[in-house]
Amino acid sequence: MKSSGFRVNNAELWGGAIWFAVSLFVLEQGRRLGLGTVNAPGMGFMMFWLGIVMAGLSLGVAAQSIRSEGPSIRALWAGTRWVKTLIVIVAFVLYAYAFTQLGFLLSTIPLMLVLLRAIDPVRWVIALPLAFGAPLLIWWVLERVLQIQLPTGVFEIG
Amino acid sequence: MKRFALALIVAAVAAISGGTVSAQNYPAKPVTLIVPWPAGGSTDIAMRAIAEAASKHLGQPIIIDNRVGGSGTVGPAQMAATAKPDGYTVAQIPITVFRLPLMQQTTWNADKDFTYIVHLTGYTFGVTVKGDSEFKTWDDVVKFAKANPGKVTYATPGAGTSLHIGMEQIAAQAGIKLTQVPLKGGAETNAAVLGGHTMLQADSSGWKGLVESKQLRLLMIWTSNPSPNYPGVPTLKQLGYPFVFDSPFGIAGPKGMDPKVVATLHDAFKKAIDDPAVQATLAKYDMVVNYKSTADYVKFVKEVTATESKVVETLGLKKKE
Amino acid sequence: MDLAAQVANGFAVALTPINLLYCFIGVFIGTLVGVLPGIGPISAMSLLLPVTLSGTPESGIIMMAGIYYGSMYGGSTTSILVNIPGEATSVVTCLDGHQMAKQGRAGPALGMAAFASFIAGTASVVGLMVIAPYLARFAVAFGPAEMFSLMILGLVIVTFLTQGSMLKSLLMASAGVVLGLIGLDSITAQPRLTFGRIELYDGIGLVPVVMGLFGVAEVLTNIEQGIKRTVSTTKISNLLPSSEDWQRSRGPIRRGTALGFFLGIIPGGGAVIAAFASYALEKRISKTPEQFGKGAIEGVAGPEAANNAAAGGAFIPLLTLGIPPNVVMALLLGAFVIHNIQPGPLLMVQRPDLFWGVITSMYIGNVMLLVLNLPLIGMWVQLLRLPYNILFPMILLFTVIGVFASSNNIFDLYVMIAFGIIGYLTRKLGYEAAPLVLAFVLGAIMENKLRTALIISAGDLTTFVTKPISAICLGIAAIMLLMPLIPFLRRKREQVAIEDGQN
Repeated sequence: MKSSGFRVNNAELWGGAIWFAVSLFVLEQGRRLGLGTVNAPGMGFMMFWLGIVMAGLSLGVAAQSIRSEGPSIRALWAGTRWVKTLIVIVAFVLYAYAFTQLGFLLSTIPLMLVLLRAIDPVRWVIALPLAFGAPLLIWWVLERVLQIQLPTGVFEIG
Repeated sequence: MKRFALALIVAAVAAISGGTVSAQNYPAKPVTLIVPWPAGGSTDIAMRAIAEAASKHLGQPIIIDNRVGGSGTVGPAQMAATAKPDGYTVAQIPITVFRLPLMQQTTWNADKDFTYIVHLTGYTFGVTVKGDSEFKTWDDVVKFAKANPGKVTYATPGAGTSLHIGMEQIAAQAGIKLTQVPLKGGAETNAAVLGGHTMLQADSSGWKGLVESKQLRLLMIWTSNPSPNYPGVPTLKQLGYPFVFDSPFGIAGPKGMDPKVVATLHDAFKKAIDDPAVQATLAKYDMVVNYKSTADYVKFVKEVTATESKVVETLGLKKKE
Repeated sequence: MDLAAQVANGFAVALTPINLLYCFIGVFIGTLVGVLPGIGPISAMSLLLPVTLSGTPESGIIMMAGIYYGSMYGGSTTSILVNIPGEATSVVTCLDGHQMAKQGRAGPALGMAAFASFIAGTASVVGLMVIAPYLARFAVAFGPAEMFSLMILGLVIVTFLTQGSMLKSLLMASAGVVLGLIGLDSITAQPRLTFGRIELYDGIGLVPVVMGLFGVAEVLTNIEQGIKRTVSTTKISNLLPSSEDWQRSRGPIRRGTALGFFLGIIPGGGAVIAAFASYALEKRISKTPEQFGKGAIEGVAGPEAANNAAAGGAFIPLLTLGIPPNVVMALLLGAFVIHNIQPGPLLMVQRPDLFWGVITSMYIGNVMLLVLNLPLIGMWVQLLRLPYNILFPMILLFTVIGVFASSNNIFDLYVMIAFGIIGYLTRKLGYEAAPLVLAFVLGAIMENKLRTALIISAGDLTTFVTKPISAICLGIAAIMLLMPLIPFLRRKREQVAIEDGQN
């Protein structure tokens, strides 16, 4: 795993590159917002200088990754259960989308079922009551006791 | 505690029973009042006092929702963009709602995006210095500023607030140049003057206790009449400036509300500010009741927008088209 | 009246049954909201503000104060158990507290957090009683220039918290400042980096960022590694800190208390900086700094002491000057004014019963908190016995509710998920989230202070070094920045060691 020199699949190098892009963006946004003068600094003053500092730091990270070793992108995910992580992320993103469309209850119960069954399957006897019980309880506490309105969605449930 | 528990029960029952909602049985569930200022500030406490009284006349609890930001515009703007015009979501409308669209690009149109309900009250603003300051009167400040242009610094609770705009107008009238130090709310302006970081502060009456204990000196107030709470402190008019700044505010909902619902809300809040107990609370914060009916409020919004537009333009703060 | 008589007078007020009851309700609610993420002391106090109207001013304020310092106790619980800091001040507690929980030492971690909080809390009340009047000036001495330099120092401190590369933590800190700048500019009220989204006008919320970077990212990482909790349950037997734990925590608690008390007085990010500073200090002077981040109890004791002491210190500017140094204190100010009482220089003279009653109630409240929290530790530890496949959906549900309850805004849910993914990826590459969070909290204040300091000094940059307090802060920061250049090579070796250890 340890090798020096330039490698395209070096994760550290890519990290540095992404940071560099971010810093350029920050720098540019700062410039656009206006630097002002030193006795009346503008909105972009701090952002601009931060962008420069970040650019320097990210180049440092990139330089370090070339000088010494860095894990390859593949190695970072090797031997992990990345598919399961991906399932959770996708389920969560879909959930956020469904949250307003379907309302709290109709979106949360399916999410719970997916999380409980798709990763390390929990027995149905436990999964079902949990998936229905927990969201219902929370819904009751928030809506009725704390009076925090949860989205009801198109079906006006919840 | 008992009252709070009761409110919860009432709310719960109402929320369960209130299935279909129409203008006829309005209000059938609790009303949310958006206050675009932090909880515990003078506006928040005044609104809570008013809301509590109004909820009695409304027959439904009024829930305060603090949505802070953008000099008090984020809450109303969010309401205008997202809330249903069913009378269950209304917001306190600070003057910045009319002013900011003149200064910059905004997401709302103060003329079209709100249903104005009732106008309630305004603030007492004042300018203070540190208790041991060499400035005994406002004239001392003017004299010093004439000799040292731009050297006089004043703290405000934010750029574009009435304090900022007010001070700039006063400075223009007096022919002096002051430097604004925009901070974030009342606590910081007090600390800035006390610590000697700025020479002046301009803010609503959060300085009251410090003025009474003589750690700060109140140079002037911006109300139309002298305040009985601060005898001997001149108003702007008494000092020869033709201004009154009290940043009056009222309540509005999203556009397109049923006139019947508007009338119900108007009546509840009108009764609330007529309540002596509420007036006593308001007086504590040096707020004077400034009632305007629905029709008058709408007219007032047009006037305010016109005058603000002129002011903002003269001060060179108008947005570039 | 001398101090002893006044304190006795205060206890007479605080010990009346009705005030004891209110004190208990306060600390109980405080513990509860501290544990629940999203619902912090701020929302609880604003919800209960009207309730204080019905009782006497003493009772109402005693209760509100109880909620505040009670939440400081509760905040560490979720940090330790599930790596979700209840508040910015307990972010640091995650670093070692959660590691301890993973090693089956959740009991001692929770216990030490409670004891450290108790000791620091009571000590700061004593400090409040004795030296409050003299410290009022200290709070207002911090003008924009001094605050800016203090925050620079805070951010430099951050570089010491990291396991890995200093470059990476500085990058995360810079990114945190930029994120903190999103929203309406505090000076011109113009939107910055908002891309036309009105939800961003108010900036990104701290709760979704923290929940994402810590809570969600932790879950994602754990799922990927297929963590099973069964390993740790066997070792859960001892619930309380051992005598060795006490030995190691004594110094950190003492130093954390002093640090927290003084930094808590300063408006702005004082309490948060105090917790971070305490951690950095302990790591720096420790004989075994390599244990930090891997479950060192000093890393729990110091910061927990610091944030509770800061809660005590924060009362000073409010009670003596009427200036609330943070949002919670602003709410407390609201509770005072609702009763037609103006907190400030005259409070101690005009209402000695109220002033000393509230302060002594805090002493009683701290005892109540300890009694309340110790038995709960057993219950919390039981929670960790749940298999992870049941626990993690509950944690995610918890984060969703926390985020939604705090802002009532769906947008924050998106923010949390985005930061969950960012947190997961940056963790993979060895970037730590803690510097980002501190910088995020301080970013906007820091920028505002830099600009106001320059406005006040008319563009004179030397203002930062000619003011003594500011010069001292910057001096320490400079020394700290230069120091790690020496152990730079050693650090790299550590990094390799960590990677080997994990596999």
